Amino acid sequence: MITRVSLLLSLSLLSACASYSTGRGIPAPVESRDNSTSVIAPPSAQPSGGTINTPIQRRELPSTQTIDPRPGTALPPTTNEQPATASSTLLQGVDAAIAQGDLERAAALCERALRISPRDALLWYRLASVRAQQGRLNEAEGFAQRALSFSNADRALEAQIQALLRSI
Amino acid sequence: MPKNKLKTAHTPRSKWWYFKRLVLTTGVIALLWCVWIDFEIRRDFEALQWALPARLYARPVELYVGANISQAQLEQTLKRLGYSERQDINGPGEYQITASRIRLWTRGFEFWDGTEPSVYLNVEFNGTSVRNLWGDQNTGDLALVRLEPVEIAQINPETGEDRLPISMSDVPQHLVDAIISVEDQRFYSHYGVDPTGIARAMLANIRAGSIVQGGSTLTQQLIKNLYLDRRQTLRRKIEEALMAVMLELHFSKETILTAYLNEIFLGQQGNRAIHGFALASEYYFSRPLKELSLSELAMLAGLPRGASYYNPLRYPERATARRDIVLQRMQSQGFISEEQQREAQSQNLRLATRTLSQHGRYPAFMELVREDLARDYDGEALRTEGLRIFTTLDLRVQDVVDDKLENAVKSVERAAASGDDGQLEAAVVITDAISGEVRAIAGGRQRGYAGFNRALNANRQIGSLVKPAVYLAALETGDYSLASVLSDNPITISLPGNQEWSPKNYGDKLYGDVYLFDALERSMNLATVDLGMKIGVDKVAQMLKRLGVEKDIPLYPSLLLGAIDMAPIDVAQMYQTLASNGFYSPLRAVEAVTTGQGARLERYGIATEQVADANSMYLLEYALQGVFRRGTAETMAARLGAHLPLAGKTGTTNDLRDSWFAGYGDDLVGVVWLGYDDNRDTGLTGASGALRVWAELMDSLEIRSRENFERSGIEWKKVSIDATTQVRQRNCSSTLSLPFAQNRFADTAVDCEDESLFQNIIDRVRGLGR
Repeated sequence: MITRVSLLLSLSLLSACASYSTGRGIPAPVESRDNSTSVIAPPSAQPSGGTINTPIQRRELPSTQTIDPRPGTALPPTTNEQPATASSTLLQGVDAAIAQGDLERAAALCERALRISPRDALLWYRLASVRAQQGRLNEAEGFAQRALSFSNADRALEAQIQALLRSI
Repeated sequence: MPKNKLKTAHTPRSKWWYFKRLVLTTGVIALLWCVWIDFEIRRDFEALQWALPARLYARPVELYVGANISQAQLEQTLKRLGYSERQDINGPGEYQITASRIRLWTRGFEFWDGTEPSVYLNVEFNGTSVRNLWGDQNTGDLALVRLEPVEIAQINPETGEDRLPISMSDVPQHLVDAIISVEDQRFYSHYGVDPTGIARAMLANIRAGSIVQGGSTLTQQLIKNLYLDRRQTLRRKIEEALMAVMLELHFSKETILTAYLNEIFLGQQGNRAIHGFALASEYYFSRPLKELSLSELAMLAGLPRGASYYNPLRYPERATARRDIVLQRMQSQGFISEEQQREAQSQNLRLATRTLSQHGRYPAFMELVREDLARDYDGEALRTEGLRIFTTLDLRVQDVVDDKLENAVKSVERAAASGDDGQLEAAVVITDAISGEVRAIAGGRQRGYAGFNRALNANRQIGSLVKPAVYLAALETGDYSLASVLSDNPITISLPGNQEWSPKNYGDKLYGDVYLFDALERSMNLATVDLGMKIGVDKVAQMLKRLGVEKDIPLYPSLLLGAIDMAPIDVAQMYQTLASNGFYSPLRAVEAVTTGQGARLERYGIATEQVADANSMYLLEYALQGVFRRGTAETMAARLGAHLPLAGKTGTTNDLRDSWFAGYGDDLVGVVWLGYDDNRDTGLTGASGALRVWAELMDSLEIRSRENFERSGIEWKKVSIDATTQVRQRNCSSTLSLPFAQNRFADTAVDCEDESLFQNIIDRVRGLGR
């Protein structure tokens, strides 16, 4: 029996050597998973027309998005004389994300800041502008209205919000 | 008989010829077999993709100055994340507690919106919130730090296998050394099978008289695991040996070792099979592999020999003995020094306690998550793609609900109503008042109740909870103000088919002429029907739809008193819109989905749409805050003291079948329902039942009071304290201030803004006459 095993072994060696020479490194199974495959929803998804009434907003995967060149949607600079606070740190992140063209991340950071200061009109306005840049105008309008509802007596900000609303 | 034929047909001379043919045929068959096995193993191994369960995370704790978290709550979170308390902090996953501070080193995490770095920080507390936050010389000031999220559940593959794949660079060297020294000393020099090892094992087994050593190499063990074939036939063994050899021919040692580290079976939890060392580390120690000590790594390395026999959670003494053998082997092979061995052997196993695992603890919330996910993902993707799902569950809020609900329900339960055929049940939904994110859910009164989820599925009449929609619809017409005078008098409405409906107030009271705000605050049925019939039931139904009620709304007059079935989650959606001042935002339980590596796949952000006129919302809010000041929730005003003003509404249905309260502060919206599954009389009104439970929960949650702002479209005016429609009965001797929208002020009969002397004299005289 042992001879048979060794025979088989040597045969297998032969066959293996004869058939393939895999010089290329096969990646470990961990890395062989493809990130971008087949987990997206079935194709029943409607075109992302941005209807607010669907309970959950579907969105496309982040892609290279061009910044909306319309003057009305220009973003206010985030100036900060005071030491960094949670929301000022996040707003810097918003600026950085917009600069990188990752508008969805910018929106996410606005929302994160809003969880910390929910009545900050500036944050609602920033979120509105990001959505407007993404072309999600229905949402942008909702956020701009909400920004207005919190913008007590801040005339400059109110003017900016109104300008954004007119541009939508 | 062919054999006989052959024998007779050929002479002995041809026996040799047959033997040659036999050898040749066998050879060809063996060759084909080998080629097939070779093909099989390469195909399977290259395509090796483990089915990975989706992992679900709670909302991460964010630390910043003013963050709503106490020292005890942070400590609880760190324990859940498996952080170790230490005297000195030397690395990620460790923390230290001093009088009013927690010092910690976070692990960092790949979030869907970016990488959270691992940082060292100090947190100082001020009662229930963070007073200060700072790092060290390297990090300096820290404005905002996010901890890793707590894993709350997973959706397992049908195989029941679970693992956390890692690459070789994340594997501690001690672990590799430990495995090699006990399982396969010549791993780096053999070709998949190790004849010396087999011989040595056989010798050892003969000496011991039983199987004490296996001669399998790591490669053979890997193949055994991959093909899950437990048959110990000779053919299988040969096949495994062959496959091992071929695997070694085609793949590097490192690739094979990585696969082994991820594949090997290391434990069983219910129907979940723990595979691979990274997951075993989480399972047995609640900490990532790279944080484990030599002693702990050696213990894990002892498990492949018999994961259930050496299970440290069940047989700690066996596991410790096995660990010591591993350490001894490591030392004898020169991987560690004698001192390291002694040091590691002296350590006690610090195992994860069972309670640390959060899995399966939030079944009610998970049901909502599954409903949300089902819109975009099929079950197969969730079970096999290793997705990471970031939910909106806030463990701080859910903990409070779980800790307090049952006792709170007990304290209002009427013993007479509860009995053998069921106890008073409850459902709770708590959402974020701004974003519509669902923070916590209870589907029954018991903690972690996994049965019928009443919060999502118990459709019950909502009673007076409907009234804000009636009053908001009325205010929006512009024909009504808070000072409009309604008639709370007996009323009979004819219905189609010669039927009649005569609604009644709770306790058969009659209030007569009342102000609109008062009718809402004290929840008067007759005045509400009076108002609703004037504006039209269809207007009320439209308002409900705008506020976010998605189901069919019956257009009967009884709708005005809440004859509509809704589940607590539907009520939460409606009150969410009220809490955000007329901005509708759909409730969400899932925030984002990423791949196992953190690449963003799907994000569900806040959406918002203004659905109600802002001035009308302002007026409605005044009355809903009045519910606590003067109305049906006044009984709890003292209890909620510092948290006021809050807004809300009680709800009670016919025969006291349902006791509801829905209310909100600036940060949270909460809906509480109490009732029996069989619709029995609870003996409770909204105020005597659900409101008390709500107040208990919200007080513990430190609900933030409503901030009231002036609005440019709103003016405050004085009106008479008495509601009347008769101008000649006007009495301004005592007045109250109410907000008015500029297009609709008070009627003359109650308007006390006209401060002329003449008017004052008349009012005085009138006052004397009484």
